Amino acid sequence: MTEISGDSEIVLKVENIAVHFGGLVAISDLNLVVRQGEIVSLIGPNGAGKTTAFNVITGFLKPTSGSISYLGKPLTGLPAHEVAKHGVVRTFQKTSVFDGNTVIENILMGLHLKGTSKVWEVLLNLARVNAENKYLNARALEILDQVDLSDKGSEMASDLAYGELRLLEVAIALAAEPTLLLLDEPASGMNPTETASFMKIVSKIRGSGTTILLVEHDMRMVMEISDRIVVLNQGVIIADGTPGEIQQNSEVIHAYLGYGDENA
Amino acid sequence: MKRGIIILWLVFLFSIPLWINDLYFLHILINTGIFVIAAMSLNLLLGYTGQLSLGHVAFFGIGAYVSALLSVGFDLELTDTYTFVFDPIPVWVAFLCGIIVASLFGWFIGKVAFKVRGAYFVIVTISFAEVVRLVSLNWVDLTEGPMAINNIPPFTLGIPSVWEMTFYQKEPNYYLILIIAIICYVLIRRIVQSRIGRAMISLRENEPLAASVGVDVTHYLVIATVIAAAMAGAAGGLYTHYVRIVDPDIFLFIYTVTMVIMVVCGGKGTLAGPVVGGIIFGVLPEILREFAAPEIQWIIYGIAMIVIVFFLPDGIVPALTNWWNDRRKGVLSSGLVADSDPAIRDKK
Amino acid sequence: MTEFLQHILNAIVLGGTYALLGIGLTLIFGIMKVVNFTHGELYSFGAYMVFMFSAMLGLNFFLAILVAMVLGVVLGAVIEFVLLRPLRGANIDTTMLVMIGAWIAMQNLEQFSWGGVAKSISHPFPSDPLVIGDVSVSWIRVFVFCFAILLIAGSYFLINRTKLGKSMRATFQDRDTAALMGVNINAVYTATFALGSGLAASAGALLGPVFVVTPTMGDLAALKAFAIVILGGLGSIVGATIGGFILALAEELGAGYISSGYRDAMGFALIILVLIYRPTGLFALKERYG
Repeated sequence: MTEISGDSEIVLKVENIAVHFGGLVAISDLNLVVRQGEIVSLIGPNGAGKTTAFNVITGFLKPTSGSISYLGKPLTGLPAHEVAKHGVVRTFQKTSVFDGNTVIENILMGLHLKGTSKVWEVLLNLARVNAENKYLNARALEILDQVDLSDKGSEMASDLAYGELRLLEVAIALAAEPTLLLLDEPASGMNPTETASFMKIVSKIRGSGTTILLVEHDMRMVMEISDRIVVLNQGVIIADGTPGEIQQNSEVIHAYLGYGDENA
Repeated sequence: MKRGIIILWLVFLFSIPLWINDLYFLHILINTGIFVIAAMSLNLLLGYTGQLSLGHVAFFGIGAYVSALLSVGFDLELTDTYTFVFDPIPVWVAFLCGIIVASLFGWFIGKVAFKVRGAYFVIVTISFAEVVRLVSLNWVDLTEGPMAINNIPPFTLGIPSVWEMTFYQKEPNYYLILIIAIICYVLIRRIVQSRIGRAMISLRENEPLAASVGVDVTHYLVIATVIAAAMAGAAGGLYTHYVRIVDPDIFLFIYTVTMVIMVVCGGKGTLAGPVVGGIIFGVLPEILREFAAPEIQWIIYGIAMIVIVFFLPDGIVPALTNWWNDRRKGVLSSGLVADSDPAIRDKK
Repeated sequence: MTEFLQHILNAIVLGGTYALLGIGLTLIFGIMKVVNFTHGELYSFGAYMVFMFSAMLGLNFFLAILVAMVLGVVLGAVIEFVLLRPLRGANIDTTMLVMIGAWIAMQNLEQFSWGGVAKSISHPFPSDPLVIGDVSVSWIRVFVFCFAILLIAGSYFLINRTKLGKSMRATFQDRDTAALMGVNINAVYTATFALGSGLAASAGALLGPVFVVTPTMGDLAALKAFAIVILGGLGSIVGATIGGFILALAEELGAGYISSGYRDAMGFALIILVLIYRPTGLFALKERYG
């Protein structure tokens, strides 16, 4: 686990984000930065607002107030697909793939932004469309390799085992070539072996230059893999520091009373 | 092997008028061809993009009416003293205009209707088609209302004052429709096997996931609608210059339902599905005509759709494809439900 | 002014039956999330039943209406049990397609059984209208209005004051929680569909004698029912009731002052406008589904 110095460039800036649903306050004041190449984990008890935070950052939900910027460009209020174009891609808490298609087709769909052919070019079957398809197919195979699913290419997504499905989810997100990857409970439901190999994959991803923001409940994984941990409780950040610091933080322990033991 | 079969098929289809002498049968084939084009267009929106758009007949009818009006000419009394007169234009130009106007409506409806989703979207599309029907029925000044637009000129081919052929007879219409059907098939195939088509399919399969990897949802929904509308408009134009009479009944909801039945029973989201569905439901009424009243036929179609949805939810083509594949693998087909998307793997 | 008042009066009478159509559908659409394409057919079924029992078989007019209503409830229960229950959990498109198939089959069965010619149903009310000042209304319409109000009140009572109604409301709010609390969801669904269909059938039974009975009369009725549901807000009986009157008013005024041909277009225009500008409807109880 590499040390990230404090002067590393800030890529994601979340400032004073609040999310109100009618009378319900899901997030009251979220301030958070993520630096280039970091792996930051967002943890907190259920209902703390973690997935809501993800939804706001990636454009699936509009914040009631506050601002988000990525690489200096404003993201607040942009629709999800625009956020993806900026290089920010998320996975979903509930297993989310394109069920009715094969694994390789799933990845091809994830590669959407990597193609540029327009409708009229496709209709006229220009040579560059075929070239693009060849390129995308090759890329898809590469990505499958990255997540160790190479032998599952022509399987139907719905036929995959649970652990493989979660890998496919990550693969689809990777296809979009994110520079900031948001993983929403990617290891939930995985057994220790699967979690271990998953962590290797996460390291590989960070190694290739992608910054990672992660929501997880598996404390062992969080402590081992994160450069920094941000703790969210009832819509507010109560702690932000290295795994070592967080483990000592009394407020965190208080919020998690008994929680840490379950997953250690 | 596949190439060979396709060529044989094409030769067969093109040769039909040479050895079929029964003009009525040819008429059935022509109607079927028009249905098939309309069904393929709906399939793009319903099957591939997964949007249950039930106003599709509107695009068909708009293509028909625009082409008819422009090729026949019309005058419109705008004020007490001024009447706008439109002189007839060549049929091909009118036909193209019909397609363009249908596409514009497709674009407009796409932008408006997709502001709501799910069941509400379905209702908006139905309402849109009904409004168009009522306008065509009541704006008698323009559309002749229930009196219909008559004597619509047929297509013509040739070099003016040198040689000209007017498509009064069935054979040239048959070839024209066959050619356009093939063109539409090829265009749709190109789309669904490309990045554009994959974006549409991703919207059908899992919209939030599609958005998360950068698919602009509204943009692709509109593209699908525009292309579908354009093709439906083309089918309408072909219809209008073949039958040469058009009235507001062309907008009846039952025709949308007919197209839906074709697509659903044939196999939504497959290339061959709407073709098979179109052929079945174009030819079936003729076969049943002998011994079943129209109402009974419709009851059969309604029940057929229910049965297919229950037992072959993906339609006939995928069920057959799976059965054939399972047999080739030497495995007995266990269930009838096809879980696959043959669109991308369907290399026909 | 007189003309205006006459339009208002007509709208009030028509609105009552429209409300029935709307209430029936808002219950089905709201609680079961089914786009019920057979709703219009239940409407024409109600009318045809009155025709069959009253005009063809000579049964007492009022009894025929009651019979039609009861049969509508039964038919609704059958449709739910045979077609919808097996599809529980399937996606909305599948259910819609099945409903479309059923709609086609039903409408053509009606056409086959009674022919496409419009049928009229004679009623025991005097043909001289009731005159109130400068406006008049025929007695049959007065009867229809009163009966409709009765049924609306009855529906309101059933939904808000009975145990079944409570179960229905709970299922509408949150099906899974309701199931966990012991609500028999299957029974609720069958009851909802039966009730909604019964209301559609009664609307048809009441309007059949006012207008004429044709196999396609249900189509426009169904679309208007959807307009009312969208206008009034999904799942709201009050909304559907008020929506029914608003639609009737829009139709009457539109037919009177714009053009009678576009009367039926009013419903669709309303749908499109509402969905664009206020998608949850005027009285939404819950976030718009879909």
